[in-house]
Amino acid sequence: MSNTNIIGIYEDETILLDAMDELQKNDVKIKDVFSPIPIHGVFEKLGITTRLPLATFIYGVVGTISVFAFLYWTSVVSYPLKFGGKPLNTLSFIIIMFVLTIFVGTLFTFLTYFIREKMYPGKEVELPVPTTTHDQFAILIEKTPGMKDAEVKKIQDLLTKTGAIEVKDSDVEYDN
Amino acid sequence: MYNTKVRGVLIQGNKTYADVSRDIIRPMDEKAPMWWRVSIFLATGALFWGVWGFYNTISVGIGEWGLNNNVAWGWAIINFVWWIGIGHAGTAFSIFLLILRQKWRTSINRAAEAMTIFAVMSAGLFPLIHMGRIWDGFFIFPYWNTRGPLWDNFNSPLFWDVVAISTYFMASFVFWYMGMIPDFATIRERTTSKIKNKIYGILSFGWIGNARGWLRFETAAILLGGMAAPLVVSVHSIVSMDFSVSVVPGWHTTIFPPYFVIGAIFSGFGMVLTLMIVLRKLYRFKDYVTDGHLDAITRILTFISLIMGTAYLTELFMAWYSGSEYEMFTFMKNRVTGEYKYAFWTMITCNAIIPQLFWSKKIRKNITMVFIISLFINLGMWFERYVIVVTSLSKDFLPATWATYSPTITEIAIFVGTIGLFLLGVLAFFRFVPTIAISEVKGVLKETTTLKSFTDE
Repeated sequence: MSNTNIIGIYEDETILLDAMDELQKNDVKIKDVFSPIPIHGVFEKLGITTRLPLATFIYGVVGTISVFAFLYWTSVVSYPLKFGGKPLNTLSFIIIMFVLTIFVGTLFTFLTYFIREKMYPGKEVELPVPTTTHDQFAILIEKTPGMKDAEVKKIQDLLTKTGAIEVKDSDVEYDN
Repeated sequence: MYNTKVRGVLIQGNKTYADVSRDIIRPMDEKAPMWWRVSIFLATGALFWGVWGFYNTISVGIGEWGLNNNVAWGWAIINFVWWIGIGHAGTAFSIFLLILRQKWRTSINRAAEAMTIFAVMSAGLFPLIHMGRIWDGFFIFPYWNTRGPLWDNFNSPLFWDVVAISTYFMASFVFWYMGMIPDFATIRERTTSKIKNKIYGILSFGWIGNARGWLRFETAAILLGGMAAPLVVSVHSIVSMDFSVSVVPGWHTTIFPPYFVIGAIFSGFGMVLTLMIVLRKLYRFKDYVTDGHLDAITRILTFISLIMGTAYLTELFMAWYSGSEYEMFTFMKNRVTGEYKYAFWTMITCNAIIPQLFWSKKIRKNITMVFIISLFINLGMWFERYVIVVTSLSKDFLPATWATYSPTITEIAIFVGTIGLFLLGVLAFFRFVPTIAISEVKGVLKETTTLKSFTDE
C-alpha cells in the first residue's frame, strides 16, 4: 500500500473546519488533520475518541486498593504495633490512600499517554507540513493505489475550492 | 455563555499565530542579556553560600543551628513551609483555572508551574537536612528492613508530608512537562541551529500535532489537572497537621488546614505577581501578560487577603473564647504584645492590611506599586510562618523551659542558598524554555483577539 497523502494547507481553523465539512459531504475520507492547536471540531468530525479517562480510573482504583492492602498488611498483619491506643486499622490510612491514589493515577496516565502515542525522548520525526507546529493547518487524505486520476483531481480541486492555500502530495510517514 | 468577551482582549497587539511563536521564542534566540548574566552570577553565589551552610550542618550537626530543646524547629521549618506555599502557585494557577475554564491563565500558567517546581525543590531540602544524619534519610520509606520488620508510623503527619510532597512534586513536574511538549516541537521545527534542533527534538518526544495526538494530549492534560487539583488542598493541609496535631498552644487548632491552604495560595499568587511583572518587563511581553492579567491577580489577592485577615482574627477570638489561659498567653502576651510583637504586626500589616490597597483602581494600575505590594506579601507570608513556629515553641506550658531563638549564620546561609537555587532554576527557565505556553495562547487568540480577520466572522 502506498503511503502517499494528498495534503491541503490552510491558514485558519474555521476555514479548515468548513473545508472538512465540504470534503465529507463529497464522500472524501479525511485521514488526519495537523494543527498548531487542539481543535474540538476536528475530533468530532473525524469521529475519534480516547479511552484515556477509563485507563486513569482503573489506575486509580488499583492504586487505592493496593495502597490500602499494603497499609493493612504492614500495620495489622506484619507488625501490629499500637500507637496512642488507636485501632491498628485506622482512619488515618485514608490520607495516604488519597495521596497515593493520585500518585499512581498521575504517573500511569502520563506513561500511558506516551505509550499510546508511541512517543519517547529523542524520537526522530518528519512532519508532512512542518509549519503545522507554527501557524498552519493541514488536512491529509490518503491516496490509495486504486484511486483514479480523476478522483485525485477532484480532491485537489475540493481542497483548493475550500480555501487551501497550497495543495501537494507527500510521502512522509508517521505514527498515527 | 461564560466564554464571551467579558474580560475584553486577552492578547493585545493584533497577533497572528506566527507572531505568537515568534515573539515567545525570540528571547531564547537572542544573546543572553546582561541582566541575565548578572543574575546568574548572583544566584550561583547565593547557592554556593547555601552549599557551605549545608556542608556545615552535615559535618558538624544540627548544633550548628540556633535551635534548643524548646525551639526545636527554627528557620528550616519556617522556610520549608514558606517555599511550599510559594510552590502552590503553579497548581493554583494552572490547574484550578484550567478546571474553571479561565482562559486568562494561558499567558501565566507556564511560568507559575516552573516556579512551583523550583520552589518545591527548595522546600524539600529543609526536612532532608533537618534530619541531621542525612545519610539515613531512606528510613522514611517503608521497606523490608532488618528492624523487626518495624514499619513507618503511618499515623504520623510527618510521614504524610513525605508522601504528599513527593506526589505534589511529581504531579506538578509531569503536568508542566506535558504542557511544554508541543512548544518544544514548535522550536524543533523552527530553529535553524542544528544543536537546538537536536536538543528540542529529544525534549519534544517526537510530537507531531495530529488530530489523535491533540485529542489524547487535551484529555491527558485535563486528567492530570483534575487529579492534581485536590493535591493543592491536601499538601498544605498535611503540612498544617505537622503543627495542629500537637498540643502546643497556638498550633492546636482546627482552623489550621484551611488557613494554611489559603495562605499557600496567597503567597503563591504573590510570587507569581512578582515574577510576571519582572518577566513581562524584561522580555517585553506586555501584549501577552497584559495589565488586565495583573489586574485579575490583584483582585484575587485582595480577596484572599481578607480571608487571611479573618483567619488571624479567628485565631485571636478562639484563644479568648476557648478559655484556655495558655492559648490566651501565646496569642496576647507572645504575639500581639511581648517579645515577638514586631514579627506579628509585620505579618498582619503585610498580609491583611497592605494588600487592601488593591481596592483602589489607581494602585492596581500602577505596576510599580503592584510590584512593591507583591514583595510585601512574600515578606509577610515568611513572617507568618516565623510567628507560628517560633512564638509557640519559645514559651509553652512550663516557664522554666522558656527559651529564645535566633538563627545562626549557617541557617541564614542555607535559606539564601535555596533562594539561589530557586533563582537559578527560574533564570534557566527564562532562557531555555518558552516562558509562555505557545500552543495554549494560540488556542485563546481567536476568541479574544482584536485582529480584524478574526472578529469579522
